[in-house]
Amino acid sequence: MRRSLIFWILILILASCDPKRGTWNDSVQAYVPVYAQLSDLESISLQPSQSTTKAGKIYAYSNYIFQNDINKGIHIIDNSIPANPRKVAFLKIPYSTEIAVKGSYLYTNLVNDLVVLDIHDPQHPVEIKKVKGAFPLINQQYPPYTNVYFVCADPKKGIVVDWQLQQMQNLPSCRR
Amino acid sequence: MRKLFIICLIAFIGIANLTCSKDAATTYAAASGTGQGGSLARFTIVGNCLYTVDNEKLKVFSIIDPANPILKKTIDAGFEIETIYPFKDKLFIGSTSVIHIFSIDDPENPQKLSTAISPTVMRRCDPVVAKDSVAFATLRTNGPCGGMESKLVAFDIKNITNPIQRASISVSEPYGLGYADTILYVCDRYQGLLIFNIKNAYNPGLINSISGNWYLDVIPYYNTLICWVSDGVILYDISNPASPKFIAKIT
Repeated sequence: MRRSLIFWILILILASCDPKRGTWNDSVQAYVPVYAQLSDLESISLQPSQSTTKAGKIYAYSNYIFQNDINKGIHIIDNSIPANPRKVAFLKIPYSTEIAVKGSYLYTNLVNDLVVLDIHDPQHPVEIKKVKGAFPLINQQYPPYTNVYFVCADPKKGIVVDWQLQQMQNLPSCRR
Repeated sequence: MRKLFIICLIAFIGIANLTCSKDAATTYAAASGTGQGGSLARFTIVGNCLYTVDNEKLKVFSIIDPANPILKKTIDAGFEIETIYPFKDKLFIGSTSVIHIFSIDDPENPQKLSTAISPTVMRRCDPVVAKDSVAFATLRTNGPCGGMESKLVAFDIKNITNPIQRASISVSEPYGLGYADTILYVCDRYQGLLIFNIKNAYNPGLINSISGNWYLDVIPYYNTLICWVSDGVILYDISNPASPKFIAKIT
C-alpha cells in the first residue's frame, strides 16, 4: 500500500516537471502576420448600421460621431438628439484605422492610401479621391509588442494589416 | 526673357497662396469647421493642413482645397511614433520613448522645438494633450511600450524648448486622455475612467473614477464626453465636467 502511494507521488512529481516552458502541450503562442487581400482593396461601400467588431479610434464632427472598426471601416453615429445617439450607417473601408474631418470632407486610410470622402450628407458618404501610398505603413516588420515570438513577415506576400496571436507547434524564428 | 520672369513670378505668387497659411486657416475655419479626434490619433487637422504620423515620419498635406489633399512635406520626426495632438501653433507627437514638440507657426514647415523626456519612466507609450503651459501624458509600460511602471505625468512647457516634468502619478495601464475645463479624463484598462481635478496642474487630484469598461480614449466635445471603450463607444453628459452622467453605450 505504502509502496504504491510512493509510486503515485513519484508519478505526480515527475509529471509536474514539464520541460517545455510549462505549456500543457507542445504548442507555443506567437504572432502571425495577416496580409491584405488584394481583392478587398478597392471595395469602399456604404452599408446598413451594424454591430461593432473591433472598436477603434473615435472622431467627433458636428452632430456626428465616427468610430473606426479596426481594419473594417467606420461606424457613423448620429448624435443630433443627445439623449438618443444611434448608429445610422457603416462605411466599409478595408484596413481603415484613422479618421479626420474638415469642412464636410472625411480623411481616412485604406491600408496606406489616403482616402477622401464627401460627407455633406454624413449618412451617405461618397468617395471622391484616393492618394496612393500617402500614409506610410506601420507595423510591417514586427508586431507592436515586445518580448514576443512572431512569424517573420514576408514582403512578397503583401502588406501586413494585422498581427494575430496564434497557437503554434514550433517556435517561429523571429523574436522581439 | 523679362516676360518669362514675370510669368514665373506670377506663378510663384499663385503657388505661394495655395499653401496652408494661417490667414487662410482662420477664414476657412469660419466657413467650415474641423472635427476633433482623440489623443491616440495618427491624423490631425490644423487650419488648412492635414498632419499624419507613421512610425517615423510626419507628413503635411495641404487641404486648402479639402477635396484634393496635396502632400507638401515629409519630415523625419523620430522613432516608434504612435500619436499626434495639436494645440494652438504646436504639434505634440508621442512615441514609445519621448514626446516631440513641433512648431507649426509656418504650417507647412513644422519645426522641431524640443523633446520631452520623463526622468522617471524610460520606455513607455506617450499619448499627450496640452493645456495652456502644461502638457499631460500617460506613460504606459505594458505590451509594445516596455518599461517598468505606468504614470500620468505633467510637463511644464512654459519654456517650450525645455519641457520639465512637474508631476508624476502612478496608474495601472493608461491609454488616451483629454480635458474639459479644469477636469482631466484619463483612460485606464483596469481602473476605468479616471477623473482628475487639474485646477492645480502640477498636482492633479483624483476625484472620481468610473469602472466597468476598458477605456481607451476620450474626446471632450462641448457637453459630451465621447469615450472609446474596448467594445464600442460610451457617451457621458459633462455639463458638469467633474461628474459625467451616463447617456448611452453604442456597440
